[in-house]
Amino acid sequence: MSVEPKQSTTSSTPEPKAGRTPVPVWLVVLLFILLYWAMIYFDSYGGWFSPQVYAPYHSTNQLAEYQPPSGDNEALLAGKKVYESNLGCAICHQNDGLGKPGQFPPLAGSEWAQGAPSRMIRIPLCGLSGPITVKGQAWNAAMPNVGSILTDDQLAAVLTYIRKSWGNTASEITPDMVKKVRGEVGGRAQPFTGDELSKVAE
Amino acid sequence: MNYGPLIFLAAFFALATSWFGFVLKPQMQIGQLSQTVTVPGNDTYPLNRAGLAQQGAEVYRANGCASCHSQNVRQFGTICEVVLTATGTNQTALIAALREIKAGASDQEIASFLTGLPKQLVIGPSRAVADKAVDSIKSAGGKTVMHIKPAGPELARGWGERQSVAEDFLYDSPVMLGSQRVGPDLAAVGMRLSDVNWHLRHLYNPRLEVKGSVMPSYRFLFEKRKLAAGASPDALVLSAGAGVPADAQIVPKREAIALVAYLTSLRSQEPLFTAPYSTATPPASSGTNAPGTNAPVAGASPTTNSTTTPAPAK
Amino acid sequence: MNSSTSASAPSSDVVPCTDLSCRAPLFILLKSSAVWLVLSSLFGFLATMTFHKPDIFADCSVLTYGRLRGVSSSMFLYGFCLQAGIATMLWLFVRIGRTPLVHGVVTCAGAALWNLGVTIGVIGIFSGDMTGFETLEMPRYAALVLFIAYTVLGIVAALTLRNREPGTFSVSHWLLIAALFWFPWIYSTANLLLLTFPVRGVTQSVIAWWYANNLQFVWFSLVGLGTGFYFIPKLANRVLHSTCLAAISFWFLILFGSWGGIPNRAPVPAWMPALSTIGTVLTVFVLLTVAMNACRTLGCGIPNDLPEEDRLPLRFIKFGLFAFLLAGAMNIIGSLLQVSSYTDFTWFVPAKAGLQSYGFFAMTLFGAIYYFAPTLVAGKFWCPKLARAHFLLAAAGVILGLLPLAIGGVVQGSQLLNPATPFMDIVKHTVMFIRISSIGDILLLAGNVIFAINLIGGIIRYYRAQVEVIYTAATADVIAAGGRP
Repeated sequence: MSVEPKQSTTSSTPEPKAGRTPVPVWLVVLLFILLYWAMIYFDSYGGWFSPQVYAPYHSTNQLAEYQPPSGDNEALLAGKKVYESNLGCAICHQNDGLGKPGQFPPLAGSEWAQGAPSRMIRIPLCGLSGPITVKGQAWNAAMPNVGSILTDDQLAAVLTYIRKSWGNTASEITPDMVKKVRGEVGGRAQPFTGDELSKVAE
Repeated sequence: MNYGPLIFLAAFFALATSWFGFVLKPQMQIGQLSQTVTVPGNDTYPLNRAGLAQQGAEVYRANGCASCHSQNVRQFGTICEVVLTATGTNQTALIAALREIKAGASDQEIASFLTGLPKQLVIGPSRAVADKAVDSIKSAGGKTVMHIKPAGPELARGWGERQSVAEDFLYDSPVMLGSQRVGPDLAAVGMRLSDVNWHLRHLYNPRLEVKGSVMPSYRFLFEKRKLAAGASPDALVLSAGAGVPADAQIVPKREAIALVAYLTSLRSQEPLFTAPYSTATPPASSGTNAPGTNAPVAGASPTTNSTTTPAPAK
Repeated sequence: MNSSTSASAPSSDVVPCTDLSCRAPLFILLKSSAVWLVLSSLFGFLATMTFHKPDIFADCSVLTYGRLRGVSSSMFLYGFCLQAGIATMLWLFVRIGRTPLVHGVVTCAGAALWNLGVTIGVIGIFSGDMTGFETLEMPRYAALVLFIAYTVLGIVAALTLRNREPGTFSVSHWLLIAALFWFPWIYSTANLLLLTFPVRGVTQSVIAWWYANNLQFVWFSLVGLGTGFYFIPKLANRVLHSTCLAAISFWFLILFGSWGGIPNRAPVPAWMPALSTIGTVLTVFVLLTVAMNACRTLGCGIPNDLPEEDRLPLRFIKFGLFAFLLAGAMNIIGSLLQVSSYTDFTWFVPAKAGLQSYGFFAMTLFGAIYYFAPTLVAGKFWCPKLARAHFLLAAAGVILGLLPLAIGGVVQGSQLLNPATPFMDIVKHTVMFIRISSIGDILLLAGNVIFAINLIGGIIRYYRAQVEVIYTAATADVIAAGGRP
């Protein structure tokens, strides 16, 4: 056990007078330098307490500057949303349009997707079954009529998205085209076959 | 003079400042956060998760998934890209505008812009420069498209299309942002790995799907049933190397299905005012229809307009 | 009772009844914290085993990696660090204030309640009730028990403090008093706003980060420095160099240290990480002033005129001080925007936290416990060989267990910043660092086991000696009368 008399010279003395060395000057100088740095840092990165400014943006002005211009993108965005939604096409044909070997044919580079609009519109409206050749490969699967529950606008948007993505360079499809094809197929419940589709003109 | 109470009070307030700064003020500011709208599109974001996904979040919490996985995609900068899509009829004006934008380019380079459209014209962090290019091409009769792309290694890696913001976690309780990346970030995993069966197989034994993975196997989320009891439609389709005997099937329990529903619901990709970006059409993928892979969604690379990461997703 | 024991101990000029008054409650607190420490190392080691053999607990939901991590962390922070920290605080109030501990029985009850809370919390985590917040993994019902226990212990500490002899107010007192009321504040805020009436969205993360930082980098620093500022002058038999510098350490710690913790580029408005970085960078003054104070007080090396029993505690506390400075430096550097892109989400973060909580706080507490446990029995308590072995294993374990993680973290971070590097390559490169760290974990486990054996052995030896004395006294007249007991 250490001997207690040492206690009188250590921290248990009242208001320790011993050990009262002044604060070194360089510490105070460093404090002011760091406070200055802190102000500059907060000015650059703090976004001035705005709830909308997230790093790396510096201010709401800069954030507003970087908003995407409206225009072509809006239509494609709507189509992309439908494509990737829970009832949409991405589940089988995948987000990258490549489909799955042996199960779902690809949409990227597909002649059916980039061909005549009325041919393409029929596929989601009524479904497709039986043998079909896509990009030189033979497929024999059944596609349900997933597009029949979509509105004209939605179906037009998603088909346009498919026709302009993953390197596809086909024309857009308008809601009027979809309406026309809907009228043409009437209440058809039977999926189309590859042969029937090839016979569809224009 | 008794300094004791004075010092106590001063210490109290010194410590209280951080309570004011990081408990009270955030509660006043983002504690009242509500749904926002996407920009453009004006759709409500976020939507509450489906019930099964909510239960999956509970499984995620109970098993401490956040100790290895983060849910926070970060952005390091922004890039504005201007792409020339149509030349219009006035070639001379267009060439003059191009000369202005591409100062110092040779005549051959300028001429190359007129063919093989669309071609990238300007790419850089300055919106002002991009706007100027768009205006000069427009007044020359051409057509351009501007893409705003968030830049950063995590976005380039395909972990998300934009950075994570507060609205992404509006309906989460608890919010499990994680602080470790022993495994990849999961903020937008539902976007790049949307196949439910892939996730189930991966949970059963991660090494079936990702070679060299150090993630523990979660066999306790599944049950092994004899095939004689009747083939279950939910049974996992595993390859021969998985070590399952021929007379048994692996059926996911409710926790596994819920957890996978939660994982596939993690898709923070809507463009918002606080995290703006242009949703460009995804470029052609370099991946092929190779079995067992699920090539990542093309998150536009900030430097080039070319294809995505060639390796399988993760 | 006191007179019979001091007959067998060397006579000391300490006021015996003040130190001895806290024997029973401190024994409970210390032995429980030693047991939790061993269990936390054990479960932590099991957790790291999953990196080397991922299928090891595949069929057992209770032992899955996430739950093991949560359990190990909770046992360490709440079972050992807080409990031993409170024990040290109580002893320091008793010793510096020269007043006995008030209401020993109530303190024992508080200690038992605390352990009940930790046990309930750990069972809760194992059964799947983990909260999902780091450093706050124990579920709500356990937190309530812990809070009640802390209130009991805190009131006892405050009453003991009030009874102190006039003129004994010291540097350590400032730090310990601040710690005394800061923990219930942060703990109740975190539990109320995260678990009881959860706030909305990422506000939860902000409060969780605030709590984690204030527990590990503020509360541990307050108690650790309070302990250090008492023991360094005492053990080195010198005067504390400057009270002014100690005051600066105190004020900067509570004013700026409490602002840290929000990681850069978090999904929160940018002002929060910015303020957090500023606060953390300004804690450099804490590091500088503590370093100056310690260096000028201790001089170089350990003074040669020290009795043997004081050398070991001083070694622990010196090691703890180095770890404090290193962890503080890592904290400051890691909070800068450019550096954090390399260190965030990597092994650097747990390495830094581990260095602060184990390397600094636990080692300082070990030093303090090695000093004050013998004062509780007014005699010999430790087996010196085991104590020396503990120091070597603990020091080696901290260095081998944490520094490779820090380096591995920076490597991992720089590879993550390159999007062309496939993720699995990054994993492969970090596994080597994790392997070295596991060796460090084994050393820490061994050291903790030795510490627990030493401590519990000392307690058992003491009570056996008590029983022997009572037995001898009770049978003395029987023997004197010639009979057999």
